[in-house]
Amino acid sequence: MPPVITLEKLTKTYGKSRGIIDVDLEVQQGEVFGFLGPNGAGKTTTIRTMLDLIRPTSGRASVFGIESTADPVAIHRRIGYIPGEFALYDRLTGKQTLEYFANLRGGVDPAYQASLIERFDLDTGKRFKTYSKGNKQKVGVVAALQHKPELLVLDEPTSGLDPLVQQTFFETLREAVADGASVFLSSHILSEVEKTCGRVAIIRDGRLTKVDTIEGLRDLAHHQVELRFSGPVPTAAFEAIPGVSDLAAEDHTLRMRVAGPITPVVRAAAQYELLDFVSREPSLEETFLAQYGREAVEAGPDGR
Amino acid sequence: MAASTGVPRHPAATFAPIPFRKRIYGFGSIFGKTIRDSRLSFIIAAGMFGGLALVMGAAIGTVFPTPQARLEVGKLVGSMPASMVNLFGNATLMGDKLGTLGGYVTWKYGAMFSLGTAFWSILALSGTLAGEAARGSLDIVATSPFGKRRIALEKLAAHLVLMWLAVLVVAVMLVVSSNAFGDASLGDQVSLGNALGFSLWVGVIAMFFGGLAFALAPLLGRAGSAGVSALLMMVLWVASGLEMGGPLEAISPFHWTVTHIPLVGFYDWAGVLAVGVVGVVFLVIGLELFNRRDLGVTAGLSLPSLPADVLGVRGPVSRAFGDQLPRALSWGVGLAIWGALLASLAGPFADQVAKDPAMGQIFKQIFPGFDFTTAGSWLQLYLELFLIAAGFAAATFVSKWASDETGGRLEVVLANPLARARWVVAGGIAALLAVAVMTAGFALGIGLGAASVSGTTGAAIVGTLAMGLVAAAMVGVGVAIGGLWRTSLAAEITALVVVATYLIDLLAPALNLPDWFHQLALTAHLGQPMIGSWDPVGIVACAVIAVGGIALGAWGLTRRDVAR
Repeated sequence: MPPVITLEKLTKTYGKSRGIIDVDLEVQQGEVFGFLGPNGAGKTTTIRTMLDLIRPTSGRASVFGIESTADPVAIHRRIGYIPGEFALYDRLTGKQTLEYFANLRGGVDPAYQASLIERFDLDTGKRFKTYSKGNKQKVGVVAALQHKPELLVLDEPTSGLDPLVQQTFFETLREAVADGASVFLSSHILSEVEKTCGRVAIIRDGRLTKVDTIEGLRDLAHHQVELRFSGPVPTAAFEAIPGVSDLAAEDHTLRMRVAGPITPVVRAAAQYELLDFVSREPSLEETFLAQYGREAVEAGPDGR
Repeated sequence: MAASTGVPRHPAATFAPIPFRKRIYGFGSIFGKTIRDSRLSFIIAAGMFGGLALVMGAAIGTVFPTPQARLEVGKLVGSMPASMVNLFGNATLMGDKLGTLGGYVTWKYGAMFSLGTAFWSILALSGTLAGEAARGSLDIVATSPFGKRRIALEKLAAHLVLMWLAVLVVAVMLVVSSNAFGDASLGDQVSLGNALGFSLWVGVIAMFFGGLAFALAPLLGRAGSAGVSALLMMVLWVASGLEMGGPLEAISPFHWTVTHIPLVGFYDWAGVLAVGVVGVVFLVIGLELFNRRDLGVTAGLSLPSLPADVLGVRGPVSRAFGDQLPRALSWGVGLAIWGALLASLAGPFADQVAKDPAMGQIFKQIFPGFDFTTAGSWLQLYLELFLIAAGFAAATFVSKWASDETGGRLEVVLANPLARARWVVAGGIAALLAVAVMTAGFALGIGLGAASVSGTTGAAIVGTLAMGLVAAAMVGVGVAIGGLWRTSLAAEITALVVVATYLIDLLAPALNLPDWFHQLALTAHLGQPMIGSWDPVGIVACAVIAVGGIALGAWGLTRRDVAR
């Protein structure tokens, strides 16, 4: 089956400013694909180029096999999109807003629209400008889902939603995927990507640094191991084990970082009388931070 | 005594002092940033009013160069009904001095200077805090280590500095203009003292109504305070100008200063002082209300809202028109009131001229080609103002169209199966429909005004189409700029084109500039539509610019990135 999204050497620059550089990736049909990166890494630029809202400086983006600049309307007909930041019509109520976007698509199934409104507990009788941030986001979510698109392009979709609504959102997403939809989910919230996506791309400073499955990313993970001995700490017995680093001894306790298989460490520890053995697998978030550095996540919003 | 707990994180930290220039202009203070943010409006206001002062001197010196011509101006004005004469300036008090440059400028344009500057102040002072509160940015500013009073004071001071600078520019331009183009033997020269006296009057009027908007803004919000203040300003101006009597005239600052005509040497400092004092009181009230009330919480005006059906959700054209409709109706209603007022005054005066052949002869000498026995001729005299209003209305329609992109909606809209070109064309058509609504309002106002005094203004009603044509052309200009380049500047550039067109049309004949230069002004090609004399070239030019501009914009947007 052909990929639903194909990016080939996709590059977008803004004068001298970096946007994205040589981004290559494919998203398969039926896949939930996570797109991770710190602020300003180029996530939104990638999406906007993919949807022909901005034009690539070089390279190409294809969605459903259609080059984005060739026939964007054909692409848009089959997608649902939630931008990272958006505003809608202040004077229109939620109901009118949804009706308008439904009309732009030639109509939607009113029962499905009503079910989404009910699920997200959206009061559609209020004017858009009177909504809270979360309710504005709900309108965007329903507008993107109501026509049952084949591909959902979601840029930070849970921004402003409370945890319960976030849960509802991901349930709805799973149902859409079960119904045959594909999802391209841009986020910097690793936990939501971890729970939702099958594969993930990580972008940093405009370049893709990793495309892998969630499990593959986890393989990058290390274990934090803490051993408490009844006697003196045998530091030297662990130094030579492959993958072990950051050894730190304190009283009867030895702490270390173990990358890769943990079995050699267990075997070495078994040679000694142990009072305690603690091994902790870090979350994807900790892995991400370890791999790319905290400063990458906390980078200022100077990029796009 | 409450003990302070905790340790300062930077107990002995010292930072480089903020440069003084950045405190005055830039990001070194709230005052500096407000000055910086207001630079464009200052340039437009000072440029427009300063330019007008300069151009009027040149025009009067050229059009009325001889003592005989000046005498005729005096006769002309003296023969007009008092109700019409004094609306623009106290011609009765000026007497013979009306024929001087200062007198004529005061009579014909004095109110424009004060109303225009006051309108600027209303917009600036109603929005400087309330607008920022509505956007949410005021919350962040208010959590900086300043009191709310100081924040308001710095923002207020910034506008007042710019406003007074702008009226100072007017004073200087009046002096330059009168000395460069006036005739000393006819009493044209305006001294710096006289010019400053005039500017002081313009400034206190602006402070009065701007202060009122500032005082109302914490209660009514930006739109409510601006609307109430602007409406009251117009009502009080008319009440004073038409000498209606009663409480409205009594509380009008125009009435308090009706004998203050410094450009011809008449002063009423007590009146000016009274207006200034009330203006300051309004400003202090505004400061205190802002200081005491919850941030961003307003009582709000319960304005009637449009029925859901006309807000348009069926498609791009109806949606864009639904967005335009409230401002199209606002322009339509405002222009209808203006049109009704002028038509109701023009009709009786036309009848008066028709009954007095001698008076008609005077008019023919001064305005050759005009038949002042019809109300349309009188309205034709004001055509230039109508066209400016139409142009600015078009700029606001362009601004509304552009807000889809500048407000971040376009991204969502274009993610639907809607081609970029179609969005531009739909927005352009909606803006043209808005122009039609506005023009219909103006035509209706003229018709009603004329009917109220049993006058006939059939040609003038049809002539209002000229406004629609110019506005449509300006929509074309704005959409072209927005599509080809960027929507964030489309409305501003459209407004500049309107101002430039006006100045070219006014300046070129007055300064004997080459004819080709005058022909650059679109408004020079419309003939005299208010009396039924049309120039087909202008009609075709407007239509081509309107349609071509929208087409260009549609083509342009398909070639550029969509902004966020």
